[in-house]
Amino acid sequence: MDQDIAEARDQFLNQDFDEKTFEIPADKTIEYARLCGETAARFLDSAHPDFQAPPTFIASLSGSRALPENFPRFGLGMDAGKGVECFLPVRPGTTITGRTHLHDIYSKTGRSGRMVFAVSRIEFFDAAGQHLANADSRVVMREKS
Amino acid sequence: MAISTIQEVVFGEDLPTFIPDTSLAIASQFAKLVGWGGPRFTDHEGARKEGLPGAMVPGILNQGYLVAMIHHWAPDAEIKAIDTVFRAPVIADEKHTISGVVTDVNEEDGQVEIDLTVANEKGETRVFGTATVQLPLG
Repeated sequence: MDQDIAEARDQFLNQDFDEKTFEIPADKTIEYARLCGETAARFLDSAHPDFQAPPTFIASLSGSRALPENFPRFGLGMDAGKGVECFLPVRPGTTITGRTHLHDIYSKTGRSGRMVFAVSRIEFFDAAGQHLANADSRVVMREKS
Repeated sequence: MAISTIQEVVFGEDLPTFIPDTSLAIASQFAKLVGWGGPRFTDHEGARKEGLPGAMVPGILNQGYLVAMIHHWAPDAEIKAIDTVFRAPVIADEKHTISGVVTDVNEEDGQVEIDLTVANEKGETRVFGTATVQLPLG
């Protein structure tokens, strides 16, 4: 592993650097589901007994900052992907809390040079402290050669 | 026919092809809903001025299409995890096709893994990903 990547991992991984609360409005989760093409009533009908936000709704929630303060700028950042893990349904009409940390930092070297990837993870909890879901944002920074 | 239980899933089977609505109207409504109302998602000409080939479908909307496809195949499926890679822009108003294939079936815990791809009319992969899905044991 490159020395600067190892140092960044030591300094930044697995330390919460942001906390934010999010209201989950039912009309917004229903519209989100509709635009995605969902047809299941549990995502579209607020009267359904198992009414819930669509699983990837949390991917649309952003913390106050994507990377920790003083994180090295390896290059221009671009959105390289999203991941979601679901443990319990996110219920519309509730307020949830998201805590963000850097989950991974790694590099790949190709023909155009080195690319550094940073994975920010937001862990979402309900008011009772139950861990509902994780949302990962993968940013790729291409270094200038 | 919709899948109801894990016993109905066959390793290697293709999910029914899903044609998402990648119109500019949908992309634009979605971008505004999540607070990303910039021209790159709402206006072809504005996106071109930013150096893009046209307005894009937001990446997380593509992820939403993939999950909707799984729910069309198996309405009671619970998404346990989905990871998506945004390989290239999905341009709004261009036709795209989503395909999926079952790459693992665990009849004991009811979980399946599905590889998913969003491709344009040239057959170029724009987004790909993997989902882990929980199905009823039956």
